[in-house]
Amino acid sequence: MKRIFKGILLGFILVGSIYTISPIQSEAFSNQQIQRGAFGDDVIELQARLQYVGFYTGTIDGKYGYGTYWALRNFQEQYGLPVDGVAGEATKQKLIGVSNYDEKFVKRNIEEGNRFTHYGNQSLDEQVNKGAGQNNSPQVPAKYSNEDIQLMANAVYGEARGEPYEGQVAVAAVILNRVEHADFPDTVGGVIFQPGAFTAVADGQIWLTPNERAKEAVIDAINGWDPSENSIYYFNPITATSKWIWSRPQIKKIGLHVFCY
Amino acid sequence: MKKIIFVLCYSVVALSIFAYGKTTESKQLSYLLSGQYAKKMTEASQKLEELDTAVQKTLLFNEKEGFDEAREDIWRLSSDVKNSVGSLPVDRGFSNAWMNYLGRLGNYAKEADRLGDKEEYHQAMTKASFNLREMADEWQVATRDLVSGEVTVEGWQNQLDSVDVDHDWDEMRETVKQYTESDFPLTASESNALKKKELQMLTDQKVTREEAVEHFKTLFPEVSHSSVVVENSQPDAPYPFYHIRFAENGTVGYIDITEKGGHVLSFLSERSFSQKVQSYEFIKDQGERFLKEAGYEDVVLEEARENDTSWHFVFVRVEPVYGAKVFSDAIHLKVAKDTGGIIGLDAMEYIQKEELDRQPITEQNWETFFRPHVTVVEEELAYVENDRMDQRLAHYLTVTLDVNDQIDTYVVVVDTETEEVIKTEKQP
Repeated sequence: MKRIFKGILLGFILVGSIYTISPIQSEAFSNQQIQRGAFGDDVIELQARLQYVGFYTGTIDGKYGYGTYWALRNFQEQYGLPVDGVAGEATKQKLIGVSNYDEKFVKRNIEEGNRFTHYGNQSLDEQVNKGAGQNNSPQVPAKYSNEDIQLMANAVYGEARGEPYEGQVAVAAVILNRVEHADFPDTVGGVIFQPGAFTAVADGQIWLTPNERAKEAVIDAINGWDPSENSIYYFNPITATSKWIWSRPQIKKIGLHVFCY
Repeated sequence: MKKIIFVLCYSVVALSIFAYGKTTESKQLSYLLSGQYAKKMTEASQKLEELDTAVQKTLLFNEKEGFDEAREDIWRLSSDVKNSVGSLPVDRGFSNAWMNYLGRLGNYAKEADRLGDKEEYHQAMTKASFNLREMADEWQVATRDLVSGEVTVEGWQNQLDSVDVDHDWDEMRETVKQYTESDFPLTASESNALKKKELQMLTDQKVTREEAVEHFKTLFPEVSHSSVVVENSQPDAPYPFYHIRFAENGTVGYIDITEKGGHVLSFLSERSFSQKVQSYEFIKDQGERFLKEAGYEDVVLEEARENDTSWHFVFVRVEPVYGAKVFSDAIHLKVAKDTGGIIGLDAMEYIQKEELDRQPITEQNWETFFRPHVTVVEEELAYVENDRMDQRLAHYLTVTLDVNDQIDTYVVVVDTETEEVIKTEKQP
């Protein structure tokens, strides 16, 4: 009887020890290396842990930019790791060893768009300002802001949500072509809200909530795709009333839209 | 019965009150908008006069300070009027031509100190001053009805859309276009940029539809069994191309291929993605291997950006003389995170390569060039377009600015010959 009791006790101790020393999967990095240009949960954890130990002072947004890069290099230098700005296995293990990561706290505040930090030397509750932060937005070239992406996604969804994906990217590309063109305002907002420029602005459909497809189309256009082949106008030949738009040189038809110069 | 009559009466009264409220609200909004537009139109008229005065002021001075100050006024005011025109409900064709003129006027004034010959500047600006006065008069006549409150915004909009408009906007547009061509004609660099954009120098042999489809299937074997629809570009397109749409097993997309030479303009496919994620190294290798096999052998990776389902890569050509990157000859690649498959390619900018001139390289002492808390962390050579659209060989520097333990990173591009700072851009 004593032997059975000892066996059970030993079993409990063994399972308990394994549970205690093994990492909690939901709070640990994935097995991917993390380097400049990376995006997502691993980067969020990396930034939060670097901030916990005071190396990272920027926004925890899941985008591995230069701020994160210099912070990681400084961390690697201080802890005698190879200084390359890449979070490989050794760097991640060291970070896990010297920092904590409150995933729920971080993800909740990103989700709610709060401005927050994750320093280890003060209470987390004192590190949150409601609102004024940034939601988890995609990575695009430096010259475009989150507001530009949001506004363009609204315009694409309002103007072309029933169109093929190619047509949605083309509408986003037309907006960007106009920003670069001497005949139009120099900003995304200026182009979209130019009176008479977009039907979706005139009829209020621009304020519908865009779906993921429209957002992806905007990201592709901002990253260099232009299925419109440099067009600066488009129109639906079935509904267009303007005589002038028919005078524009036509390039290509995608879905219901004709794209032109 | 009484109850029904009561309910009906009550409903009629409630609806009347609601309708009255809505009409009043709508009218108030309309008045507010009319007021805003009238204000902006008046401001634009005033600024046009100020702009003309600034143009004339630059014709007064030989003395540098007075001349430079007046030039800055032209740049600022032309930009202001351009913004105003862009936010006003005027004829679209006219507003586009007008914004173009104002932009070119401002740029010309800004760049004037680079002109060796001041006589050329004086001639251009004398013409511009005369034309600005003409346009200011036209503008006042054209916007009089809205500014004086004689028409509502709705009435104004109806006038613009009407075939029988009161004001001849078409004539105004043509007049402004003529002013642009005579006062600020395209420079040689601007013409070259247009030639590149419109692939005007492409002299390759024409490929057939069948050859274009074959080329597509060779490049992208994973969708090579697709059913395809091929269309030609519209007759007005500056460069003719085949527009090929394809669909295969839940993947749909398109590829545009030039008729001359069968060059890929752009390719994009859409499909659902699995949760699987390949490593960055694998995805990057897949992209580089694809480019090599597709014949893009003189490019190097410049930028990589991960998003939810894919990586976006930018590759740039490396020219052989200085080993400099040519940022205007770029290729964009989109690679799926789940499989490492190529799901997007845009090579339009790479097809007609930039013609590059050799250029002296002046040695720079970056310690004296920058302030003490700036560190140059990376230096390479690159051809970059300046704001006059010239391709210039430049030092392409990545620098950090360390203030109060906050490290910010910038790209600074410095002309190797003139030391002009072509670009300064804060990096994310």
